[in-house]
This record gives sequence, C-alpha cells and structure tokens, in this order.
Amino acid sequence: MKERLEKLLEQHNERIKNAVSLEKLQELKSNLLGKQGEITELLKEIPKMEASLRPELGKAINQAKNRLSELIEEKREELKLKASEIPETFDCTVPGIAPPAGGLHPITQMRYDLDDAFRSMGFEIYQEDDITSELYAFDKLNFPPNHPARESMDTYWIKDHDEGAVNEKLCLRPHLTGGSVRYMQTHKPPYRFIYPGRVYRNETTDSHHERAFFQYEALIVDKDLTYTAGKVMIRSILSKVFGRDIPVRMRAGFFPFVEPGFEIDMQCQICGGKGCSVCKQVGWIEIMPGGTPHPNVLKAAGLDPDEYTGFYVNIGLDRLVMMRYGVDDVRLFHSADLRFLKQFH
Amino acid sequence: MKVSLNWIKDYVPLPEDMDLKSLAYELTMSTVEVEGVTDLAASFDGLIVGEIKEVLPHPNADKLRICRTDIGGGEIREIVCGGSNLAPGMKVVVAKPGAFVRWHGEGEPVEIKEAKLRGVLSYGMICASSETGLSDLFPEKEEAEITDLSAFDAAPGTPVADALDLHDILLEIDNKSMTNRPDLWGHYGIAREIAALYELPLKEIRPFDAGDIKSFPVQIEDPERCPRYIGAELDGVAVKPSPFWMQSRLWRVGQRPINALVDITNYVMMAVGQPTHAFDADNIKGGITVRRAGAGEKLLLLNDKSLELSEDDLVIADDKEAVALAGVMGGALDSILDKTTRVILEVANFEASGVRRTALRYDNRTEASSRYEKAVDIERCDPALSMAMDLFRELYPEMKVTAFTDLQKKQSTVKTVDVELDWLARRLGMRLPEEKIKKKLSLLGFAVSIENDILSVKVPSWRATGDVSMKADIMEEVARMYGYENFEPTPITTSFTGAVNQRETDLLRRIKEYLAFRCNMQEIFTYPWMNDREVEALFPDQKDVLFLSTPPAPNESRIRFSLLPNLCRAIGENERYFDEFSIFEEAEVFFDRDYSHPNDETEALPCQPRHIAGAVVGASDQVVVLFRRMKGILSEMAKYTHMEELRFEKREAPSWADPNAHLTILTGDRLAGHMGVLKKKASLGCGIKEAAAVLFELNFDELIPLKSRTNTFTHLTEVPWTEYDVSMLFDRDTKWETIRETALKKKNAESFLQEVDFVDEYTGAQIPAGKKSVTMRLTIGANEKTLTSEQIEGCAKTVMKFLTKQIGAEARF
Repeated sequence: MKERLEKLLEQHNERIKNAVSLEKLQELKSNLLGKQGEITELLKEIPKMEASLRPELGKAINQAKNRLSELIEEKREELKLKASEIPETFDCTVPGIAPPAGGLHPITQMRYDLDDAFRSMGFEIYQEDDITSELYAFDKLNFPPNHPARESMDTYWIKDHDEGAVNEKLCLRPHLTGGSVRYMQTHKPPYRFIYPGRVYRNETTDSHHERAFFQYEALIVDKDLTYTAGKVMIRSILSKVFGRDIPVRMRAGFFPFVEPGFEIDMQCQICGGKGCSVCKQVGWIEIMPGGTPHPNVLKAAGLDPDEYTGFYVNIGLDRLVMMRYGVDDVRLFHSADLRFLKQFH
Repeated sequence: MKVSLNWIKDYVPLPEDMDLKSLAYELTMSTVEVEGVTDLAASFDGLIVGEIKEVLPHPNADKLRICRTDIGGGEIREIVCGGSNLAPGMKVVVAKPGAFVRWHGEGEPVEIKEAKLRGVLSYGMICASSETGLSDLFPEKEEAEITDLSAFDAAPGTPVADALDLHDILLEIDNKSMTNRPDLWGHYGIAREIAALYELPLKEIRPFDAGDIKSFPVQIEDPERCPRYIGAELDGVAVKPSPFWMQSRLWRVGQRPINALVDITNYVMMAVGQPTHAFDADNIKGGITVRRAGAGEKLLLLNDKSLELSEDDLVIADDKEAVALAGVMGGALDSILDKTTRVILEVANFEASGVRRTALRYDNRTEASSRYEKAVDIERCDPALSMAMDLFRELYPEMKVTAFTDLQKKQSTVKTVDVELDWLARRLGMRLPEEKIKKKLSLLGFAVSIENDILSVKVPSWRATGDVSMKADIMEEVARMYGYENFEPTPITTSFTGAVNQRETDLLRRIKEYLAFRCNMQEIFTYPWMNDREVEALFPDQKDVLFLSTPPAPNESRIRFSLLPNLCRAIGENERYFDEFSIFEEAEVFFDRDYSHPNDETEALPCQPRHIAGAVVGASDQVVVLFRRMKGILSEMAKYTHMEELRFEKREAPSWADPNAHLTILTGDRLAGHMGVLKKKASLGCGIKEAAAVLFELNFDELIPLKSRTNTFTHLTEVPWTEYDVSMLFDRDTKWETIRETALKKKNAESFLQEVDFVDEYTGAQIPAGKKSVTMRLTIGANEKTLTSEQIEGCAKTVMKFLTKQIGAEARF
C-alpha cells in the first residue's frame, strides 16, 4: 500500500509539474481527488484494511492528498499568471499609434545640432537684427565702395532709407558677417562665437537659389592663431552633421572680408569622391567660404590686426540640409508646406 | 574664361609629360577654380580630310549628289551629300561611321552610320561647318555650304584635328573666382601662376620702342579716369582675314574671328588682359581727346546701340565728336571699316569704377569693360602695345608707324610690404625656408629681399591695384604657393573661464522646443515680406510699416511688423491637405520707429523685436476647444521654459480677433502679446476657406528668463485627499474666474477645501435659458487625518451654499 502511495505521489508530482493549461490541471485534479479519483479510491479501501494499520494508512493517504492538493494549487497560481487575457488571434503587426506630431523646421534642427557641437567647444551663440546699415553690411567688411553686391540687384534696400551716406542706408542683411563686427565691437577678445541667422538676397529664385536663406557663421579671434585651426573647426562641423569624418579641402578663394580666403569643399557624399553628376565630376562640393578675417575687418572691430587674427567660416545651412537629406528644391524651406516639414519629425 | 594650354606654352615651357589633371587641380587649389578641362582634338574624333574625286548626280534626288571621295591611301568611297559647293579636287571634312556630328548644326550630336540615302549607300558624311562646330572658323556664306579645306596642306585621310592643328587642352575657369585678380584675365597672367607653381621660367615681353617719330596729338582732360593713353598711327594695313592660327586661337577661347585688324586687338586682350582698340585713321579728325561726354551727347556704338550720354561717361573724341565710349566699346562710324588702310591703335588705361558705371548705365558690359572694372594696372599698356606692334608687323610686313604718343598722367603707386619672418611663421603655424619664400614670390613677380629677419616685398604693378597691399596678402601668397594642403591642422586650444551662460538664447530654444515637442506644433519659415492681401485683412490700420525699395512682387513690398499675415497665408495653403494642424514661427519683425544706435552713433536702426506666433487650426465647430487648447499652451509655457509667468486679461481686441474671444497676454505689468480667435472677416480676407484658427503672437523681447528653475518641493500628504465633483447652475455670463475665486474663499482650516478646478461647462436642452451648468472638482483633505465621508460632503455643501449665497448658483442634481 505504502509503495503504491509513494509511486502515485511521484507520478502525479511529475504530471502536475508538466501540466500546460488550467484545463489539464483540472483534469488531473479530478482524476486524483474527484469522486472516482485515485486517492479517493485509496481512501475507500481503508475500511477493508486490518484495523491496526488503518490510522497510520489513513494518515499517510491524507498527507499525500494534502501534498497533491498543494502542488495543484501552486501550479494553478503559476498557470494563472502565465495565461493571456488577449486572444491568440491578436495581430501584433498593426501599426502603433504615433504620438501627436509637431516639430522644428529641418534648418532649426540642423542649427541646434551645430549649436550643441560648438557650445561643447566653448562657443557663445550670437543673434542680431535682420535690418542693418550699408556701413555694417559692406563698409566695415572691406567691400570697395562700388562693389556690385551693394547694388539693388543683390540687396533688399528699405524704402525711404535707400539713399544718402552708408550709415543712413538700411537693408535686410545680405550676409551675417557685418553682425560679427558688431559683436567684436561690443565684446572683449578673445572671441569664440557662432552666429546663425537668415539673410536676404534680391535674386531670381529657382531650385537652388532663394531670396531668404540661412547662414551659420563661426568665428574665433585670438592672438597668433594659425589659419589651420580652421580645418579643425570645419571637420568638427561636418562630422557632427554627417555622423562620420568627411574629407575636406581648403582652396584659394576670394571674399573681401577675409585674407587669406578659402573656398572649402567637402568630398561629394553621393559618389564618395569618384566624380558624379552632383559634383560635376570633380568629387568635391563647395560648401562654405572661410578664411582669416581681413585686417581691415579686425580694425573696424577695434582690434590690432598685428596682434589678433582668427578664423571664420560661413556655412550655408540650406545647402547643408539639402545635402544631408537629399532635398532638391531650396524653395521648400520657406514654403510652410506641412507635407514637406512633417518629413523631418 | 577659357584658357588654351597651347597659348600658355607661348609664355611658359610646359613639360611635354605634364599631368594636365594635376595642373587643373593645382590651379584650383592655389589660384582660380578650374571648372572644366576639355581635350579639343577629342571632339573631332572620326573626322578626316577627304578629297572629292568626282561629283555624280543622285538617281533619285535632284538636290543630292554622289561624291566619290578619296578618304586616304587612295581608297575611294561614295558619299551622298547635298552640299551646294561640291567640286572635284575639293578637300572636305568627312565624318566616318562612328563619328559624332550635329545634324544641320542643331540638337545633340548624333552618330554617323553607313546608310542608304534615297536608295544609294553612303559612307559617312561630308560636313558643313555648323555640323562640326567649326562655323566661326569656316563661316557658311550660303545655305548647305560644305567646309572647304582645300587651302590646307593635308593628305586625304588625315584626321581633321591634325590638319587644322587642333591639339590643345582648354581650361574653363570660373570668372567669379578671379574677380580680385585683374592680372589673370589673359593668358600671360595664368602662365605666370603656372610658372610660379611649377617653378618654370616665364617669357619676358620686351617693351616697344617707337624710335624717333612724329608725335600723335593726344589730350587727356580727366587724368583720374584716364591715367594713360597711347595712340599709334599705323599706315599700310588693310582689312583681310587674319591667319588661321590666330583665328583658331581666338575661336578656342570663345572669340569670333572678324578681320585681321580687329582680331589683333582681341588677341592682345586675350593674351595680356589689356583691352585695345583700333580706329580708322581716315575718319579721325585731328587728334584724340579723352574727355567727359556732354550731357545728351550722342554716340552710335559698334553694336548699333544709339546712346545719349551722361556727363559721367568718359569718351574718346576726335576734334569733332565722340568716337568711342572709353573702356567699353568703340563707335560704329570710326572703328575699323571695310576700306580701312590706316588705323589709330589705342592702348589706354581707364579707371575701374567709371567704366563700371558707364557699362551698367547702358547695360552694355563687354570683354573690355569687364576687364577694366577689375582695375587693370597702368603698366599693362606696355606688354599690350609691344605684342600688338609685333602682330601688326607680322601680319602687315609693309606697315609703318607714322605717329606715336604715350601720354601718361599718373604713375602707378609703388607698394612695399615688410613682413617679419616671425610673424609669418606664427600665422602659418610653421617656418618655411627663406629661399623657398623668396623663390615663390619672385616667380610671381614680387621683388624680395630679406634683412634682419624682415621680408621686404615690392609688389608688382599688376598686383598693386587693390589685390596686394598688406602683410596678410603676402602671407596668403606664400601659403597658397606652398600649398594650403601642406599645412597640418592645429587643434583649437580652450581656456576655461566658466560655462557659456546665455539665458535669452536658451529661453528661445526652450520655447521653440516646448511648442514643437510638447504642444505638437510644427515650426514654419516664411519670408519677411508680406502679401498685401493678408496685411489688409488682418491689420487694415497698421502704422510705422517699413517697405522694400525693390520688392519681390509689387504686392509684397511691406516687410513684417507681425508674423500673423504670413502665418495666415500658411493656414490657407495647408488647409487643403490637413483638417487639423498647429504651426508656429519665430522671427524678427520691423517697425519704422524707436530707432537705436547699437554700435555707431551715426547709424540708426529701426525697432526690430523678435516675435513668436502660432496658430491652432481645426474645424469651425471646434473653435471653443481650439481656444482652450491655445490658452493651455500659453499658460503652461512659463512653467516648462523657465520664464516669468504669462497672465491673461481681457482688454481691447486686436484688429484680427473675434470681439468675443481674445485675451491680452502680460508678463509682469508689461504687454507681451495677444491670443484670440481669427475673426471670420479676416479669415476670409486671407483666403482661408473652411478652417477655424486661434492665433497668438508674443514679443519674445518682453519675456524674462529665470536665472534658474523655480520649482519648489512641497511635502507629500500623508493621507490621501479626495476629489469631489459638483455641478451647479450659474448665470450664463458668470465667469469661471469669479466662480473659482468665490469658492476658494472657503479654503480655510475648518473646511478642508484645498483646490477648485474646472471640469466642464454645459448649456443644452435641460439647462434653463440664460443659465449654464458648470462642473467643478473640489480637492478636499487634511494633512494628518483621513476625513470621514460626512466631513467631505460637509465641505462640499459649505462651498455650494457659499456659491449660492454669493453669486446665485443653483445646485444641480
């Protein structure tokens, strides 16, 4: 009898452990403890036993019964927690519900990415008014008096403020660099600042020309800086934007407010520098002018050009964003078209 | 500008094995941007000289002929051709199968194949000049004229590129990259750069010596505008075509050959960058006077433009009248004519800005004026004169110089720049060998001496007209010649003086990020000018508006004093695609008032505050919800962006707002902006069809960033508080603020009332007329003990009773 009991315990212990569902467990339970269950059957046999053995046997069976009931209950709890409230047919491939969508303009995003990079190098962020005078737009920047850019074909002059001396003529700033002079005049060197802003050119628009676009200027001025520090600055910018090191080259370029001046090219990211239609087969794409601020510009800012020098770059943000995302029409940036803007969330 | 390397070789001995790709690269890196490199001969691949042996009629076409043509080595092929000048013995251009030609001179080049033309098999094609791109060298005098190469000593079968000596490499240089370098606008200048880059000798051009001859009468009335004028009277010339080599060179660099006399002047300009001009001496009465034009004086230009001149124009005049617009273009009546046999050659220097003004005034920019505009040096007249005289002698061996004057009113400024070698080394980040510096600068024409570690540099005249004048310029010359690539990048060193702390800048970014990421608004960009339609709809009476002198469109002359007009335009454009959306923009606006002097007392800039504006757009039956959403965005803004609180007051409505739904936004006591429902009339005026919009506009300059976060900690309650909703009826015009303030009067130790919040308001069929039902949530609790339900209900009853007593609320069950 005892042997039978032990075998029963062992057998059912295993079965209970392996029960895969609540239904199976219930079935096991009734097979054991139900009216015709095996334990019940055993209990029924007790009266047939010798009286002296009965108490001990009864106790053993009851112990086994309790033990099995416990095991069943434990398993039941375990199965309950494992069970799903969701039907098996639930389709996990239906799309998620997106959070309500707002976003910053792709150019603002790019700007903030660059701001963060420059801030980490200890640069200040400078902002300045959009309307400036001819004095700061051109004269302080070493533009000769009859430079073509001053003419109305390139600059948006303000009506009733478009005649007279250079300090009286007002325009929507054609570039940011004049503002840099304002900064230098009102701060003490050394300088290390970035200057993002919208600039305006009176020109015919097409997919690559806009009347309003964003520039991002960065300027360091210090004693005895070499122009090659600029290379470091440019590499930092590009690796931030593209997420990897991008080959750059600096070649001779002319801008009135820098000396020496550079055109800065990056390796074409479409062909990897092999030459393609985007880079006109040269493998390089012109992305920004740069250079050492012209001694006359430093003088205009009240600095001694013998003592101070620096490095400046002026990045066309529109162009960079276009290249980064493959946008093929610059006019989309000022279109306020949400179908376009929502792509950059 | 196009540059022919063959031409360059006249002045600098380029090694035969020179890698042209690297030449283009070196020039690009150090001097000018080379945009393209073309192998001229390659465009004549498959074109050979053929000799027509026999011209036979075509059996099936009147206008076509069958030419039995020798294509080399005595091989005769039949070629069908419609040329008008075909004759036996004539040498022609034959395009062999596989060659590319431009059919009738039009469209893209097409490949030639052996094919039947009207039933007769034709080998290749006999070409007209327009079909091979040779029109300028072999102009077609009549339609269907075939290029006649009979004058060339070339056997049949010779490639056309060999026969015409078209082996040349052409560089296309971006003109924008050399606006500051007047010396580069001719082959000699580019040759000098190449000589310096590769350390090769540059050919000298010896000055012309007129000898002892009669002087030619020249007067300069305005020496500022014309510092130098050389007039040379030449006899024994005639109008004839220039030699083929000269025509060919002009054609390669984009100039159309005209006749020998004109070609010489153009050739000299392309060679040394100095414009020259030739007058018919028989038409010049007396001598030459360089003077200002009289107001209204008339001049007919070579291009048939008839001008009425201004007193600012400089003209070349004979004793009777103006004969040329100085530095721009010759007059039609006195320049080279068909019968010219005597010329007056002009080699002169004109001041840059005057030439530019005149050329722009008549919209008449020329190769000459665009060179003078860059400030050509006075000394450039010498090589130009010398070269011109050599060419006249070569083309007209009988030519005699009968009179000559070189009148120079001004000397060119001599500039010497001293550069400390230490300074140079510091700026370059490395010390270059003195000999290297000397050699490179000398090759560029600078006279260099070094004494006591000071580099003394005399600037050559051709670099002294504005381009090189100071130490930084010399540093640039040294650096670019050494190669910008060859300087190692030096890291930027930091000196830590504390964190960059810019509260306004940070606040602006936080506000934009708050609007975008927390309030789900999309940032947009618009132009600073506004369309009249939106301005008139939203701000019919705006004062202090600034206008553009030359607006992008006649109805877009006003520049923005508010961001709302362009925002409303954006709403109208987007409602086609979206039923609900929220947008915002941040930019400066402009007012013709409150002028300030940020840097310079003499400079006055208008008031330019930075604004932030936005719109929540949706269906018009949702306008109340839209209003509350916008108010929520604004009232929570301060908390998330760390600035001083925004308050709302109902004051006077802005011109664009619905009179019943607008609020004035204040920070402290200062006006910060407005919000409100865009009124229907304004909305329709802006072309918005269906959508309702709630707008706000804030003046960012009035917002005050906090120095730090201001959140403070309050202890968590030890026992839970209860939220208890009650609904009551109020008069329709009772404001929520009144209800709340009244209810909160009962917030005291006995009442356990902690807070009163708005849940909902309702007016419907069950609500009596003139009333509204307001549901409010009372937060009831005490700090140390849990309240009984009697205590909670008691508190609610006290509040309700008080509301009834004070503002006539009725309990609603």
